[in-house]
Amino acid sequence: MATRAAEIHASVPPLSPERPVTWPKRTKTHLANGLEIVLAESHSIPKFHGELFFRAGNAAAIQRAPGLAEMTATVVRTGTAKRTSRQIEENLRRLGADLSSSAGADNSAISFAGLSELAEPLLAMVRELATEAAFPQGEFERERRQKLEEVKLDRTQPGFLASERLRKVLFGAHPYAQVAPTEEQVAAYQRDDLLGVYHDFYTPENALLVLVGDFDSGAMLQTIEKTFGAWGGAKPAVPAAPEPPKPRGRRVYLVHVPGAVQTQILAGCHAITRKHPDWVKLGLTNSLYGGAFNSRLVMNIREDKGYTYSPRSGVNPLRQYGYFSVSAAVRNEVVAASLTEIFYELDKLRALPVPEPELADARNYLSGVFSLGLATQDGLLSQLATVALNELPDDYLETYRDKVRALTPEDLLATARKYLDSSNMQIVVVGDRTQIEPQAALFGEIEVFDAHGKRLS
Amino acid sequence: VTRLKIPIESIALPNGLKVVIASDTSAPVVTVGVYYKIGFRLEPRGRSGFAHLFEHMMFQGSANAAKMQHIKLINSSGGVLNGSTHYDVTNYFESVPSNALERILWLEADRMRALKVDDENLRNQRDVVKEEVRVNVLNQPYGGFPWLDLPPIAFRNWANAHNFYGDFADLDAASLADVQSFFKTYYAPNNAVLLILGDVKAEEGLALAKKYFADIPAGATPPFADPREPEQTEERRGEVPEKFGTLPAMAIGYTVPPRRTTDWCAVTLLDQALHGGRAGRMYRELVLEKQIAVEVDGGIDDLFGYNGPTQMVTKILHKPEYSSEATLAAFDSVIRDIQQTGVTRDELDELKVKFRSDYFSTLEGGRGGMPRYGLMHLLACFSLFDNDPQLVNSILEGFLAVTPEQIQAVVARVLRPANRAIVFRVPASAKVKEAA
Repeated sequence: MATRAAEIHASVPPLSPERPVTWPKRTKTHLANGLEIVLAESHSIPKFHGELFFRAGNAAAIQRAPGLAEMTATVVRTGTAKRTSRQIEENLRRLGADLSSSAGADNSAISFAGLSELAEPLLAMVRELATEAAFPQGEFERERRQKLEEVKLDRTQPGFLASERLRKVLFGAHPYAQVAPTEEQVAAYQRDDLLGVYHDFYTPENALLVLVGDFDSGAMLQTIEKTFGAWGGAKPAVPAAPEPPKPRGRRVYLVHVPGAVQTQILAGCHAITRKHPDWVKLGLTNSLYGGAFNSRLVMNIREDKGYTYSPRSGVNPLRQYGYFSVSAAVRNEVVAASLTEIFYELDKLRALPVPEPELADARNYLSGVFSLGLATQDGLLSQLATVALNELPDDYLETYRDKVRALTPEDLLATARKYLDSSNMQIVVVGDRTQIEPQAALFGEIEVFDAHGKRLS
Repeated sequence: VTRLKIPIESIALPNGLKVVIASDTSAPVVTVGVYYKIGFRLEPRGRSGFAHLFEHMMFQGSANAAKMQHIKLINSSGGVLNGSTHYDVTNYFESVPSNALERILWLEADRMRALKVDDENLRNQRDVVKEEVRVNVLNQPYGGFPWLDLPPIAFRNWANAHNFYGDFADLDAASLADVQSFFKTYYAPNNAVLLILGDVKAEEGLALAKKYFADIPAGATPPFADPREPEQTEERRGEVPEKFGTLPAMAIGYTVPPRRTTDWCAVTLLDQALHGGRAGRMYRELVLEKQIAVEVDGGIDDLFGYNGPTQMVTKILHKPEYSSEATLAAFDSVIRDIQQTGVTRDELDELKVKFRSDYFSTLEGGRGGMPRYGLMHLLACFSLFDNDPQLVNSILEGFLAVTPEQIQAVVARVLRPANRAIVFRVPASAKVKEAA
C-alpha cells in the first residue's frame, strides 16, 4: 500500500525474452550401506560445498534430553580415534576448508566447503568425524560449559525470546515446542548421552550426502564409494510424539524485558509442511503478504508508516508440522497500531481477490528469486537438500516455476482463507510491560512471562 | 595452485562514470551494482549517520520512478535489491534474471540523474532508520560491539571517530536541503562506478551502459576529507556499558598498515594466524586451552573495502569469573608468543591455502541471495580506490608471496600497545553485583 499510487513511467524498458535455466549436471544414487547421495556440478569457482545430513535431530532426542542432538554435533568435531581437537582444526586449515557441525529440530548435519584440488582428504576428514568421533571427556566438559553460557545469552535476545514463546504456544507437549535447553538441562548432560545419540543417529542408513561444486561427478562418486563404503549402521527408531495443541482463538503472550526500548512482535499459527500439496500456493500468498520488500506488509508498516525497519513473514516448514509467522520490531508507542495493520493485511487477503497485475508481479518475484538461488554453489546445495530431505519429486526444481506461474487470484483467496485466519493468530510481544501491556491487551487475553519463562501474571 | 582468471572489461564514459563488466553466461542471472565514493567518513559534521540515512533516501523516488517504483520494478522482475553504507563507499545493487538487465540500468541511471524526494519521505525514512538502530544496537545485547564502540576510542580525526549510525538528534536535524546538497556533491557519475556481472556479453553491457548513463552530466570533483590520523603514542582505552548481555566483553584493535603495501599483505596473514577460526591462536588459547573466553573472533573487517585508517580487531566474550585484567593478560600472552617465535614456514603455507580458499568464496559469495556480491564489491573498490579493477585477478599474489620474516617484521611494527585501542563492555548485571 504505497502512499501515492504512481503509474509506471512509459519509458521503463520492457523485459526481454527470458533465457532458459541451464540445469546443472546432477547425479542421484546410494551406496550399498544405504548412504543416499546427491551430486551436482557447478564450476563457478574451483571449490566445492557439501553437507552430510542425518535425518534425526533434537526432536528425535528429546526423550533423552532437550538439545542433546545439538550438543552431540558440537562435540563431534573435538576429537576422533586418530586426532585431537587441535589436529582436526589444523588439518581443516591445511585443506583450506570450513566445517561446521550442528543440529536442528529434524536433522543433524556436518557441512563443509573446500578447494576442489583437496576434495579427497576433506571428505576423509568428514568421514572420520561421522564414524570415529571420540568425545574426549575434557572437550565435552568445556563445550558443555560454553553451551551453558550460550543459553544464558540467548535469553537476552528479543528475537530468541519471541520464537521460544511462540513455539511453546503452538506445539505444547510436542518436541518442536522446545527450541533450546534450560541451564539445568545442559548442566545434566553426560558424555554417555552424547555417545548414545552419535551411535544411533550417525549411520549411513540415516544419512544423505549432498555435494555441489567444481568436480567431475563420475570421479567424485568413486571417491565417495572409497571413502564412505565401509561404514555401517541402521536407521534409528524415532519415538512417537504427542499431537501439538493447534490453539484456537487469539491470545497474547508478553515476555517482559525491563528497559527494552523497542518491542519485538511475533505472531503465528499452524500451517503446512514442505511436502503438502498447497506449499507453493501458501509460499506465493506469503510472498505477497510479507515475504518480499515489495509486499503489502512492508509497504504498509515500513514505507508508509515508518513503524519498523524489518517486517517480514514466512512459512516455517518442520518435518512433521509447519507454521506461519509474521514479525516486526517496532517502537514501543506503536505496538497496537502495528498489530492492527498486521491483521488488517491478513484479513484483506481473505476478503478480496488479489488484483491480477499484483499477482503477476509476485509470481515473477518468486520464480526469479528461485533462479537466483541456483546460481551459487551453496544456494544450489540448499535447494537440492530441500528436495532430498523432504522426499519431493525428482522434477521438483524443474517444474517449480511453472507451478508458481499457474496460480490464480482464486487460488490465493482460497489459500488465505484456509491458512491465514487472524482470529486464531497467537501473538507474542517481547518488551517492557510497563510501556506496552495495555496496548497488547487490546488483542486478546494476555499472559505475562519473564525472560526465563516464569509466569508473572 | 589453481588461479582465477576472471574476464574483466572496463572503460570510463566521457562524464567520468567508470564501467566494469565481468561476463559469465553460465546462468541466466545478472548482478548490477552502482558504487559511489562516499561513506561514513565523509558525512558532514553535525550530521552523524547522514550517509546511511541518505542511502535510504535513494530508494524513495527519482525523476521517473516515484517512491516504491524502484523496489516494485525490481521485485516484479524476479529480482532482489539492497544498498549499504560503508566507511568509504555506498553501494546500491540488485540481482535479477538477465532479461531484466535494461530495466535495472534504466532505474539506476534515473536515480543517478535526479533524486526526487520530499519531506514526507525524509520523515518516514528517519523513523525507519531509528528502528534499524534500535533493532541492531540499542535493543540488542552487545549491539554495536565493537564496530561502533572502538572508533571513538581508537581515532582522533572526526572522520574516523564519530558515531556512524548517527545520534538521534543529528538524524532529527537532517533536512531536505541536506539531502539535495549531499546528492549534488557526491552522487555524480564522475564519483561512481557501474558494475554488470553475469549473463551479459561484454560489448552488449558496454553499449547498454552508454545508452543509459552517458548523458548524465558530470559534477564538480567532490571535496575529499583527509582521513589521516595524528600519530598515536600510547595505548587508548574506554568503557561502554552493556545493558542486556550477561558476559563481560572486550575488543582490542590494532591499526593496520596502509593498504596494498607489503606490510598490509603480511598483517593480513598474521590476522589469519590469530583469528582463523578454531585453528587461530586466539580461539585456541583463550577458548580451547585456557578456557577463559566463551567466544573469540576477529579480523580485519571488509579487507578490500576501505580506503583509510582501519583496525585488526579481536572480540572476546569471557566467563564472569575471570577479570578483565586476567583476560587481557591471556590475550597479551598470545601476542607475546607470536612476537617471540613468529610463524613457521609450514604454518604460513597452511594460512595461505586457507586465505586462497576464502578469497574464492568471497568472489562467488552471495549476500541476501545475490550471486557474485563479493566479486562486485572488490571490482568496485579496486576501481574507485585504485582505478584498476584487474587487481581482482592479481591481488592474491602479494599475499601468497609473504615470508615468515615479513610476518616477524610486521608483528614488531603493528602489535604494539601504542598502536592499539581497547574497549571494555561491562554488563549492567555485573555492576549491580559489585555495588552489592
